[in-house]
Amino acid sequence: MELTEELKTKMIEVLNLEEMTPADIDENAPLFGDEGLGLDSIDVLELIVLLERNYGIKIADPKQGKEIFASVRTMADYVAANRTK
Amino acid sequence: METMVTHRVKLTPECLEVDGQRVAEAVAGESFLMQLYRKYGMGYPKFFKMDVLCRVGFIASELLLAAEGGERFVPRADRAVILFNRNTSLHADRSFQATIADAEDFYPSPSVFVYTLPNIVTGEIAIRNKYHGESEFILLPEKSETAMNQAVERALMDKETTSVLAGWVEALSEEEYEAEMELVSS
Amino acid sequence: MRPKVVITGMGVVSALGVGVDANATALMQGISGIRTARYLPTDHLEFPVGEVPMDNEECRRMLALPPGRPYSRTHLLGALAVREALEQSKLLDHNGLALISGTTVGGMDVTESLFPEPLPEGMPDVPDCGASTNDIADTFGCFDYTSSVSTACSSAMNALIMGKLLIESGERDIVVAGGSEALSLFHLNGFKSLMILDRERCRPFDKTRAGLNLGEGAAYLVLESETSALNRGAEILAVLSGAGNACDAYHQTASSDDGEGAYLAMTQALQDANLSPRDIQYVNAHGTGTPNNDASESAAIRRVFGENLPPVSSTKSYTGHTTSASGSIETAFCLMAMKYGFIPAQCEFENTDEQCVVPVSKSNTSNADLSYVMCNAFGFGGNDSSIILSRYE
Repeated sequence: MELTEELKTKMIEVLNLEEMTPADIDENAPLFGDEGLGLDSIDVLELIVLLERNYGIKIADPKQGKEIFASVRTMADYVAANRTK
Repeated sequence: METMVTHRVKLTPECLEVDGQRVAEAVAGESFLMQLYRKYGMGYPKFFKMDVLCRVGFIASELLLAAEGGERFVPRADRAVILFNRNTSLHADRSFQATIADAEDFYPSPSVFVYTLPNIVTGEIAIRNKYHGESEFILLPEKSETAMNQAVERALMDKETTSVLAGWVEALSEEEYEAEMELVSS
Repeated sequence: MRPKVVITGMGVVSALGVGVDANATALMQGISGIRTARYLPTDHLEFPVGEVPMDNEECRRMLALPPGRPYSRTHLLGALAVREALEQSKLLDHNGLALISGTTVGGMDVTESLFPEPLPEGMPDVPDCGASTNDIADTFGCFDYTSSVSTACSSAMNALIMGKLLIESGERDIVVAGGSEALSLFHLNGFKSLMILDRERCRPFDKTRAGLNLGEGAAYLVLESETSALNRGAEILAVLSGAGNACDAYHQTASSDDGEGAYLAMTQALQDANLSPRDIQYVNAHGTGTPNNDASESAAIRRVFGENLPPVSSTKSYTGHTTSASGSIETAFCLMAMKYGFIPAQCEFENTDEQCVVPVSKSNTSNADLSYVMCNAFGFGGNDSSIILSRYE
């Protein structure tokens, strides 16, 4: 599966986006704020756990999350460049 | 103190009663909580992120406030939220414990941890309804009308507070829970 | 007219030591109790904590409790603080007192030590939060009423507020109220998962602040109707003159940008005490050291006090964040400040942050004659409380 699709599936699972399918998530749309998926600060933390658990990426400072998790696309780029598993 | 119960809701895994009338019963399939969420078109995606205690409290409060009618989601500080149970957030506590039980697969879940407090359910109800009044979650050794009434009356002594969303909310799992919630006015 | 609620006793246990004297001395000398964990069996030694400097066995001996059964640290710390409060108020031989205790962790430490593996399904009752309150009460022969308040980090302050209301309503003359919380692996890991633990000592309101340090401890106050205190000839330490509780209604754990809940709580406390903002001479802030709390609380303090900010500080730089006990521990610190005439200066502060109030720190510490003091405690769930102490005259 393509990385962006894989990330969408995992996000739906760990963030309990119950009523969404991968097709509903635009890979370039913002994940945070009112216009995007509307994720919050706890969701950022859960995404940090997702990256560590699945791709062996450690993020120590949650502030870094803002850029990495701007969209599914930026997240996929970051994973591709930094994954250790 | 003279108080008046204006509306009440009783929710169990089998049925829902509003103001003493049985208005919905569980049918086979997904959980009764989910059935009610869909049936009443609550449209609040955060519901899916909640632990079971919050889900039970949320559904019961939505139905109670629907029974009250009137305009909702207007910020107000004159309504307190006071809930009670015996087993605090035990279900969420166990779920979080499961994420730190295995040293080989050790990923404490932040979104589970935030629900390991019983008063998150009072907070969720306040967030949904923009209630800035008093909020309190009280643990009792057993369900006691006397103790609960005392706490509600105490809250109503405060001149800020004119009504209380109060009740017993216990949730041990998706299949074992009970909510008895009412709106009380002074 | 509602009865005036006065304070006739206090007891404190924190990382600064056991008892009012040890705590007051450390606060006046500016010595923090935050260091590497010694008693909590955690692997995460990179996060300093505010541990009470005694193991459970020492606590048990001090309380002369029988050996041979496990005691929750929440019980032990709580009983030490309650005993000191009862002694000061000369109530150890009294009957029919009420105990209201705030806690969230309760007997978690015992559960963790007895059941290192996940609990089996259908496990019989494990010690709940209320059990630790009852254990504390049973250590003494004084109590015929107990209640536990569990509103996360505002628990102990809400216990004080509940005690005040019980006395004002005429239900009780004397209430011992406060909170106790021991460190546990469960909540250390939980706060770690929220990425709000600092690896250094916490620096509330500092531009470089990077989170909180967890702490533990207990504090209880003897609350009493003025009439009862005068009839008994008890020494009156201060008046619990105002209290407010409001909900931020913003997020389960984060505080709103404008600090609405905190603003409402402080405003209500002022109204309850019939005071205006300019009467307040010191604010003991909730000031956890997390970027979010301190900015939000600062916004709220600025909204309440406007241009004329009273001195503000967070004593969590001494004790760590003692979570459910913080509301009563910090209220006890306010009583010490009033008694000894000083404003607790933060032991960690260097860099001013535009988003935050500038706290009283070692560089600008001062003596003070305090008549009106405010103390804040905010909890997850947006449960925000504030109380005001006034000099008794």
